[in-house]
This record gives sequence, structure tokens and C-alpha cells, in this order.
Amino acid sequence: MDRQEEFVLRTIEERDIRFVRLWFTDVLGTLKSVAVAPAELEGAFAEGIGFDGSAIEGLSRVYEADMLARPDPSTFQVLPWRGERPGTARMFCDLRMPDGSASMADPRYVLRRALKQASDLGFTFYTHPEIEFFVLKDVPPPGGQPIPVDQGGYFDHVAHGASQDFRRAAITMLESMGISVEFSHHEGAPGQNEIDLRYADALSTADNIMTFKTVVKEVALEHGTYATFMPKPFAEHPGSGMHTHLSLFEGDTNAFHEAGAPYQLSRTGRQFIAGLLRHGAEITAVTNQWVNSYKRLWGGGEAPAHLTWGHNNRSALVRVPMYKPNKGNSTRIEFRSLDSAANPYLAFAVILAAGLKGITEGYELPPEAEDDVWNLTDAERLAMGIDKLPGSLGDAVRIMEGSELVAETLGEHVFDFFLRNKRSEWADYRRQVTQFELDRYLPRL
Amino acid sequence: MSLPGGTSRPRAASVEARLARLGFVDPIRARRMLDDPAMTALVGVADDRDATSIALVEAMGRTSDPDQAVLGLLRVSEAVAGGALRDDPEHGTAALVRAVREDDVARLRLTAVLGGSSALADYLVSHPRAWRAVATAQRRTGDELRDRLVSAVQPATRGARSAYDALRIAYRAELLAIAALDLTSPDPVADLPVTAEALAQLAEAALEAALAVAREEYGPGHEDCRLAVIGMGKTGGGELNYISDVDVIFVAEPAEGVGEDRALEVGTALATGLMKACSATTGEGSLWPVDAALRPEGKAGPLVRTVASHVAYYRRWAKTWEFQALLKAWVSAGDRAVGMAYKSALSPMVWEAAGREHFVEDVQAMRRRVEGLLPAGEAARQLKLGPGGLRDVEFAVQLLQLVHGRYDASLRSATTLEALGALAKGGYVGRDDAAELDEAYRFLRTLEHRIQLAKMRRTHLMPVSPIELRALGRSVGFVADPASEVQEARLRRSRNVRRLHERLFYRPLLSAAARLSTDDSRLSPEAARARLAALGFRDPAGAMRHLESLTLGVSRRAAIQRQLLPVMLGWFADEADPDAGLLAFRRVSDELGTIHWYLKMLRDEGSAAENLARVLGRSRYAADLLLRAPESVSFLGDPAGLAPRDVAALTAIMRNAAGRRDRADEAIAAVRGVRRHELLRVVFADLVGGMGIEAVGRSLSDIAEATIEVGLEIAIRSVEHATGEPVPTAITVIGMGSLGGRELGYASDADAIVVHQPHPGASEEVAQARALAVVQELIRLLAVPGAEPPVGFDTDLRPEGKNGPLVRSLESYAQYYARWAQTWEFQALTRARCVAGSRELGDALIDLVEPLRWRPGGLTPTQVREIRTMKARVEAERLPRGADPRTHVKLGRGGLTDVQWTVQLLQLQHAYAVPALRVTGTVEALTAATAAGLLTPEQDRVLRASWMLASELRNAGVLWRGRAVDSVPADVRDAGGMGRIIGREPGAPGALVEEYLRVARRARAVVDDVFYGAAGELGAK
Repeated sequence: MDRQEEFVLRTIEERDIRFVRLWFTDVLGTLKSVAVAPAELEGAFAEGIGFDGSAIEGLSRVYEADMLARPDPSTFQVLPWRGERPGTARMFCDLRMPDGSASMADPRYVLRRALKQASDLGFTFYTHPEIEFFVLKDVPPPGGQPIPVDQGGYFDHVAHGASQDFRRAAITMLESMGISVEFSHHEGAPGQNEIDLRYADALSTADNIMTFKTVVKEVALEHGTYATFMPKPFAEHPGSGMHTHLSLFEGDTNAFHEAGAPYQLSRTGRQFIAGLLRHGAEITAVTNQWVNSYKRLWGGGEAPAHLTWGHNNRSALVRVPMYKPNKGNSTRIEFRSLDSAANPYLAFAVILAAGLKGITEGYELPPEAEDDVWNLTDAERLAMGIDKLPGSLGDAVRIMEGSELVAETLGEHVFDFFLRNKRSEWADYRRQVTQFELDRYLPRL
Repeated sequence: MSLPGGTSRPRAASVEARLARLGFVDPIRARRMLDDPAMTALVGVADDRDATSIALVEAMGRTSDPDQAVLGLLRVSEAVAGGALRDDPEHGTAALVRAVREDDVARLRLTAVLGGSSALADYLVSHPRAWRAVATAQRRTGDELRDRLVSAVQPATRGARSAYDALRIAYRAELLAIAALDLTSPDPVADLPVTAEALAQLAEAALEAALAVAREEYGPGHEDCRLAVIGMGKTGGGELNYISDVDVIFVAEPAEGVGEDRALEVGTALATGLMKACSATTGEGSLWPVDAALRPEGKAGPLVRTVASHVAYYRRWAKTWEFQALLKAWVSAGDRAVGMAYKSALSPMVWEAAGREHFVEDVQAMRRRVEGLLPAGEAARQLKLGPGGLRDVEFAVQLLQLVHGRYDASLRSATTLEALGALAKGGYVGRDDAAELDEAYRFLRTLEHRIQLAKMRRTHLMPVSPIELRALGRSVGFVADPASEVQEARLRRSRNVRRLHERLFYRPLLSAAARLSTDDSRLSPEAARARLAALGFRDPAGAMRHLESLTLGVSRRAAIQRQLLPVMLGWFADEADPDAGLLAFRRVSDELGTIHWYLKMLRDEGSAAENLARVLGRSRYAADLLLRAPESVSFLGDPAGLAPRDVAALTAIMRNAAGRRDRADEAIAAVRGVRRHELLRVVFADLVGGMGIEAVGRSLSDIAEATIEVGLEIAIRSVEHATGEPVPTAITVIGMGSLGGRELGYASDADAIVVHQPHPGASEEVAQARALAVVQELIRLLAVPGAEPPVGFDTDLRPEGKNGPLVRSLESYAQYYARWAQTWEFQALTRARCVAGSRELGDALIDLVEPLRWRPGGLTPTQVREIRTMKARVEAERLPRGADPRTHVKLGRGGLTDVQWTVQLLQLQHAYAVPALRVTGTVEALTAATAAGLLTPEQDRVLRASWMLASELRNAGVLWRGRAVDSVPADVRDAGGMGRIIGREPGAPGALVEEYLRVARRARAVVDDVFYGAAGELGAK
């Protein structure tokens, strides 16, 4: 047993923890949880907890045997939920095959594999997400409209606003779980909030995002409200994205930084962006995995729908933020299409793979887009060689089908499951008759 | 240089001749050095050398490199004379002269070191005081070495020197002494264990001294931690090289009244300090790198742990190789009580390792790693790595220790040679084998030592230059032609070691099974079973019974098999199913054991036994075929035995066999016997002859074709016999499907249609009736149960399918195709090829279908749509219930059918204009389509890859399971066995599914584009 495990077992004893929740994530990014008693934990560390993977989305058996969930002791946290006395703790799990090898269906393993590829090239991958979400008065009944909890705007300080209390409570709880919060504010739309997590390695960040979503929903419930990460709940307001700052480190040095280069951006950084642009359309089905995601992407405003990059250009897919002098290690790029309803493990894996491809193949970075891409005409965009992101989930899936990059990154099993699942989601959606159609066509047709 | 006057020339020649005889390579230069004034005190002057001087020259002549020895002695005496040391009573010139001239032992040692190692000679020149360490060398105990090194680094002793320098100088003095004793040993090979142990003890002493240095550096508070240094690897085993990393593990416990965290903190600082004290490079160089990577969690783990933390790690997480490493653990330095606590806590676990899950798999993987470690290009010169290397011996001994040491405490030595001796004593390996290996190991290690000594470099490679080889040969006592003698001696040992697994692992099993060993100390039945299990046999008790049955008794057969089986067991153990292989071999031997050519062939024909063992261990299908007719193995005795026969030769042999029988059933049995023999030949050629999937398909088609040809002849004779008159019509069999395409698999049916043509004047009705009778008889004959799988003769592709007549006249075909045929039938005709019966009639039918299948203008749009629709329906309906479309290699996504239909569509559309497309084989057609620009090279590559892999997997399924397997197996064992057959690395069964899914996905994308004419619409799938 290593020290981490000893620490976990000791803490459980000292803090009188009666249940440990073992968390893992299915292929679509839903958090799954198995509760075990502390007595079972030693066995879980040694051998894992067996479960029937066929019952869970995307974990269908590759081989004819049960799967094992093996907790990662470095993710141990006591859960600060109110009313949970005696205490409960959680750990994230890696999914294993009965022979101990990693399960090809485990999103965490997909990300681990991608990170391994980066580390083989000498890189560590750091991410820093800005997570947007709406807080609603309640879950609307079927057919009803969502009602935001306040009417504030960007950076508004809403006096005695429910959002204020809510954010404070959420941040307190996140911090108590060891997740550092960088920044939080009211976002542009009523009821919309943004909380930025501090940068960390991609695997920790993905774990943190999963925790974050649970915490935010939990706190909202405690406040009698409802939090949602749906990308675009209101047609008239901006949607909820998850702009994510990315950087690669080689040892202690930021591989994106080069003093004196344009925007202090190194060749590695430029190639990484070039990779994101070239493969951006292929990975969109993963970074924006729901029908609703495309309502946000194509809803105008600050959503990036075109494969461009720019400096402080808020319509670009990749933005190079303003450089702060003498902070070489803070050089980073911001990837803006991602939404907070993606499976963060898979999304980080494909983003990283696309960027690394740019580096290993030595892609050239196209010229930067200085204009607001939304204001260009189609002919102008054509002339400038600006491609667009897929227009719908259907488009995105079709483009992903042909992508070797995504297949290799996700592995054939996850790749195939994901495509099948998303094709059928798209087919279900196409069968719908929407309010829009009724309102528009019934009166005149 | 003083050369005395006129007489010098003739005398010089004779002096030089004598020097050359003594072994000096450059006697002129050697003589010049002997005549150097600096040497006068040692060897006198040129014309006046006394007996002592001559003895000195002769002593130099006995060293590995006399030229180097004389140069070294000159340099050392200059160094002694030229510095402050000159008048030192113990180390000065006078003392040196006295030692060299008056002390026989000192003389030999000094010359041996100077001649044996240019690096040590250099050291003596830069540290002339050290010559006394060479001259006065004595064997010291470990404790003495420890005392000397530890006291050398104490501030009081070391004076102005830094502790690091003091450590290095004291260490080198002892190293010189060890080298002096080693190089003057009358039998260095016999003394190897002593030398290696001395080197290990010296390393341990240095660790102890380095720890003292680290404690001093840490200053007050260092006593909070009780630190033990556990030697691992060759240090722990007491069998170190001259130059080697020193492997260690650190164990710390708190001193009384100190917290654990504090102790670990101090311990980490001390361990780091110790490592630095040994490995840092100062003006005095460095000792060696201290490597702590064998610790729990390797380089990622904490450098220092408590005993309890080690125990917890090994109990839960340690892998088999970590236990193997622990075999060597030895308390080398530091706190003995802590070290002993560590050892006594962990050693029980080492001996339980063989009972852990995955032990067998781990061991096999480790074996592959040991054998695969060899860098290309060094193979011929490597002493350490690769098959036949030192590492191989060490590994094999350790493995046997792990397997048997569990129950026999006498085997638990950390030292390779001791353990080997104990294994022999306990009967776990044969005494003679052990003795021979022991000698080989000592010899190879001695060479390694000598090579390292020469330049004091860490190397395990035989030198290449003639000079170095000569010195190496002389250093181990070869005189006449040292360079080639030493190479020859080394090769002989390496060859011996290479047969090590046979000797160590398998031969004792045979002695146990045969109960013939005269030793009382035979491998016990329990030990034999434990070993078989460790080697990968899943049913050791069964395997033991088979071995007994094969080897018991005094028959010639048992004697020869006792000789063969040790090697064959190794081959079985390498294959996916060792138990099945051994069982099948036993059954074949039971059948054939008394036949003289069988055993002779296995014993004398180079690869016959290996091929047999590998095939039986790999393929149940082959074992089944062979057991029905064991005499077929005779082709293994024929050098060209794995070359398949062509269809003409096969037909002739079958016809001959059938001709000798009157009754149809007997005749077909003879034909089928030939078929079985040929099938087996193809299986062997496939499994061990690297035949390749396309050649296998052609050969299987040839066999089917010849069988049908001769079967048809028998059927005709049979009908003629029954009716008493000649059959009044010519009959021809047209091959379709994969028979037509010459790409049959082991489990494929032979698709065919049959046509007849009444002889002029014959009644059409009678002709039709007789032709039908012939076909029915043919079908019956081919389906008779026999010693080999029946030929699946399938005529469902005939006009009107199952409702149509089994045979039609040529005219009837013409009418049918002109009026009724549907598009799918034209598609089926793309593969039509005459395979048996009247060629004339066959040609006529082919002429008839030619304009149908290669229709001028290609397909109409309606026809294209029909084919696509039909395919889409087949995809949806034909897949068996419960089959996964992703992994079904025949009908699944991107599988065989997908590729075939795509190719056939291109043929139907374009062959009228592109004659090269008018072929029946899928691969040939692919090549032609690409050459004609109908497919891009990339599409060609993708389709071909999928077709190949899917075909290989189908065949591998039959070979492995003995019956058709249509999906990539979901069972790990099946995946492993099939993967092995198609040449994938063992040990990664999951990779096979992943590989097939990838290949098939790519193929499906091409099929969507080329066959369906677009990327599939979303939701359509």
C-alpha cells in the first residue's frame, strides 16, 4: 500500500467516515457512483470493486466479464454536503478489466492515454476552465419555460441577489473540497454565473469539473434553486460555454512561451493552435456533444462558430489572451467552443490530441483573424479561407466519422459507441416537431 | 637510450627474438624501454642482466599484454623516482626495486596488473604510492574492508583531503589488491566466485563509508534515523563485477523517541548524501552510480521507507519481477537490526510469489523481455544479454528458485552459483548439466571481468581488435593463438548456455517422469508439477502423466523420446496451448512410436520435431487431422515436404489412388485420404512455413478442385456401373464463390454449378437423368463421413437456387440466363471458373456467361441500385442472431462481404472496358481496379488490409478452435491463441479486437464511398 492509501484509510478512521462513494464517469459524461463501506476499501484498493459494465452507457462489455472500479487514492475528498452525518467521502476510479488491464471504455483512461502521448513528447498539459451555468428558480415542468433566478447582467452586483449567496456557498464548498477557484462573477444573461477554476493538470481538472458540477447542483438545491449546464436554455440570451485556457509545459518551462515572438507565442504554441484549427471540426462532436450545443455555437454573440484564431478576438475559436509582461509561464491559449455539458475527459483528450498533431506534423499557423468573423460576408470568409464548425450535431457526427485522429484518441470502442449514441440522438431530434414550427407554420399553412 | 657499441646488432636481434618469444608484440620498442635509464635499477643494463632481471622480463612476458606491462613499469618507476616519494622508505624507489627484484610474489602482481589493465596502470602512474597496495595485496574479509574504508573517511584520518577523495583513494587501493590477486590467480575461472564476492564486499564497505560521510555532512540530528542499506542485484548476491551500478534499497526506522516523519526526512537526506558520496565526480573520479530504482514504485516512489511501508507495498502492489529482485536482498550497510527486520519481514513473501495470480504470465513476459533485450548488431559480441548470455543463466536460476524455493529452504541463496549448486544437490536440475553450466557461467563472467579490467569500463561486449582479443585470451591462459582460442572457448560456452532452458527447466522433468535417474535426488512429483505450472501448463498433473507415458520403460521409443522431449517441452510451452500440444504429441506417438521412420525423423531431421511441437501447440484443427491419420507427419521428414502440390499433381495422385479401387465408396475414401494428407501439409506450411493467406487460399482451392475432379470421375463410373452403359453426356463443374476465386478458407464450402452437354445423338431426357444421377452421386460421395472434414459441395448458386434442377444442359443455361436471370446471378458469375470435368464444355459455358458478367456498357443504373439494395438487405438480415456487426469478420461492417461486393460491383461496371478486371479472385481484381484508376492506392490499401485480416482471422479461428469462428473472439484465451497464429505478439489479446475494429472501420468508409456511392447518410445505419 502506498502512502496515499494509508492516508486515505487513516483519514476515514479519524473523521468517522461511514460511506465512501466511488465515482466514475460514463462515456457521455454522466457521473456514476457506487457507495462502499470503509471496510471494503482495502479490497477496493487492492483489486477493485466488481460491477456489471453492460448496464452503463458506453461501458458495454468488450470482454465477457465484469469490470472493476479501482479507486485512485490521490482523489480522496471528504464530501461537505450538509446533512451527511456521519461523513461521506469520495474518490474517482479507474475502470479495469478482470485481468487488471485498463478498460478501453473508461473515459479517464482515454484521457490518461492522451496525456501519456504528450508526456512521451516531453509535455505536461494544463487546463483552466471558465465554467458557465444558469441558476433557475426551479426545474420547469414539461412544456414549461425556465425562469432565471435573477435579472442581472455581466459583472452586475445584484444586491442581496440569490446568485451572490449561491456563488459564495458554492465556492466555499468547492474550496473545502480542495478545488481552487480563481474567479467568479455574474455572466451576461439573467441567472447566469461563471466560476473559473484554477489551472491544474488536465486529469485533475477533469475530475474537478465533474466534482464542480455535482457541487453546484447540490448547493443550488440547498438554496431552493436549480442549476443547469445546458448549453443554451434561452434563445434570447447567450449560452453557457466552458472557455478553457490551455498550456503545455516542458518541465518547468511553458512550451507556449517565447520572449519576443508575436504575442510571446512560441513555435510550439503556434503549431498547437494550427492543430486545433485543422482538426477543430472533427473534434466538435466531442467538445459539443448535444443537439442543444449547436444552438449556442450558432447563436451569434461571443460563440465561436468559425475555425479562426486571434488576439483578443472574441469571435475566434482560439484566442491568445493579452500577455502580462514578465509572466512567461502564464502564456496560454483559450479554446472557446467547448461547452460545460461535454464529457471533460474525452473533450480534453481530443483537444490535446489535435494540438499535439499540429506539433508533431509541424502544421503552419494560418494568418490571424482580426475582424469579428460574424460581420464578414460569406464571400469574404471564403476568400480568407475561413472554415466553419459543424452546423449541427448531425454534421459534427458525420465529420467525426471520418476522423482517424478522434478514433485513435478515443480508441475504437469509445469511438464507435459515441458515434452510435449521437447518431441516434440526432435521429430522435429530427423526429421532433418544435414550437418554432407550430408558431410559424400553423397560422399560414 | 643507450645501445652499446659494435656488437649490438647481432645481440640485439637475439634479444628481440627472445622478447618476441616471450610474447612482446613490438620487441624493438620493448627493448628500448628496458634499456631506458629509469629501468636500470630494476632490470640492470643491456649487456649485464642477471637472473633476477631476466625473471622480471619473463614475468612481464606472462601478463596479458607484455608491451603494456613494460611501458607501465617504466612509467611507474619514473613516477616514483620523479616525485616527493622518491626517498620514502616504504613507497620510494628503493622499496620498489626491492619489491620487484627480491619479492617473487610482488613482482608477479605488479607486472600482472600493469599488463592486465591500462586503466590501473594509469592510476598507478598518477598515484605512485598505490603500488604497495598491489605488491602487498591480501585477501581481506568483509569486516576488514569495512573498517579500512570507514576509518579512511574519518576527519582524523583523512587530513587535508576531502572525505569524498579519501573514500575514493581508499577504495581504489583495495580494488588494486583484488585485481592483483585475481590477475595472478593460477585458475581465475575457479576463483571467480571469490573475486566477485570480494568486489561485492568492497562495494558494501564503500556504502558503509559513504553513509558515515553522509552522517557527518548532515551533522547533529542524523542519529534520529536508523538507516539500513539493502544491497540488491549483484551487490546483494555477493557476485559483483569490477565496474557496475550498485543497486540498493533504503530502509529507515526512527531512533527511539523520534517520530516517523522526522526519521524519514533524515533518512532521505542521508540516503541522498550516501548516493552522492559514491557517485559524485571529484578530482579523484567517482566510484559508481548508486541505483535505487528497484525500490517500491521505482523512481516515482519515496527514496526511503519504513519496514512496515515496504511490507505493505509488497503485500499489495509488487509485481512478480519485484519479488524476483528481492531474492538478492542483502543487508549491505547501515543499521543491521533494521536491515534484518526488513529481510525477515520480506523474505517469506518472496517465497510465496510463485503462488500469486499471474505468476505464469509474468514469468513468460519476463522471459520474452530477457531474450528480446539485445541491441541489434551486438548479438555476436554480447556476454550479458540475449539468449545464451549471463543474464539468461541468472534469470533461469532465479526462476527455478522462485518455483521450488517455496517448499525447499535450501534453495534460497542470493548467489547465482550457490543457488545453481543447491538446485543440483536437491535434484531440481541434473548434476552434469549444473556442473557444465556452472563452468560456463564462471568462464563467461571471468571474460567479462577481464574485459572490464582492461579499461575499467562498464562493458559486456567481446572486443573486436586483434590486439585486445589477444590480450584477453592471454589473460585467461591461452598461449598458442590466444585471440582465436578465446573466441572459440567463448562460443562453446555460449552454445551450452543457449540450450539452458532445455537443461534447467525440462530435462529434470523428464528424469522425474521416466524414473530413470540414478540420482536419489530426483525431482519430486510435487516439484515437477509446480514447475510445469510455472512454465504455462494449465493441467500439470495431466502433463506429467503424458510425460510418463512417453518416456517410461526401456524401449527404443522411450529412450529417443527422453532425448527429444526436453527440447520439445520448451516449444510446447512457448505456444498458446501447451497442454493440448503435449497431449496430441502423446497420441501421435502412441500411434506411430513403433514405426521406424517416425522417431528417426523426429530425432534426425532438423526442424521436424520443432515444427510438429509448434503446430500441435497452436492448432486443435491440425491435431484433430493428424490424430485421424498420424502417418501424414512423414512429410516433415522431407526437406520439400511443406511445399504444396499443384492441382495437376494432386489430380494424378488422387486418380491413381482411386483407380486401384473398384467400389465407389472405397475409391472416394482413397481420394479423401490424399486430401486429408494435403490439407495437413497446407496447415503445417501455414503455421510454421510462413505460407501467407493468398497462397493458403490457392492451395486449399487446388485440393478441393482435384477432389471434385476425381470425385466426378468416380461418380460417373459408379452411375455407368449401375446402369450398365456409358453416361451419354459430358459433365462439367464450374467453381463459384471462393472456389472460383481460388481463395478458399479452411472452413469454406465449395460453391459450384454443374452443366452437361448430351453427346450427339443421345436422348436429351436420358442425358439429363444420367447427369442428375452423376451429380447426386458426386454430392453423396463428397459428403460421406470420413477421416477428414467432408467437402462442403454447395450448388445453391445455380439458376432458380434450391428450387432449380441440380444440373442443366448448356442450352438450358443459355435460355435461363437470356430470359430469367437476375442481377445478383450475374454478380455471382463474376467468380465462375471451370474446375472439373470436360474442359471443352467448361469453355463453352464460360463463353456463354462472358457477355453476361462483363456486359458491354457495364451495369444500368437500375442494376446498380438493385445490387446496392440487395447488399443493404443482406447486411440487415443475414447476420446471425446475437452477432455483433462490428466484429463479424464475414458479414460485419467492413468485413469480407463488404470488400467482395465492392470489388464485384467495380468488375460488373467496368470489366467490359478494362480486360484486366476479368478475373475471379478478389485480390487480383483489387489490383486491376487500382491499376485502372477505379480505386485510389489508399482505398486499395484499406480494402486489402481488411480483406487480409478478416481472411486470416477466419482461418486462424478454424485452426485454433477446430471449427469456424466468424467473429473476432470475445474470449481472452481465444484472442490470444488466434492472435498467435496470425503472428501477433503474445500477451496483448485486447489489441486484436482494437486492431480489427480499426481496419474494418476504415474499410467500411471506403465501401460507403465506392459501393454505396456516398458517405452513408446519417441515421441510415
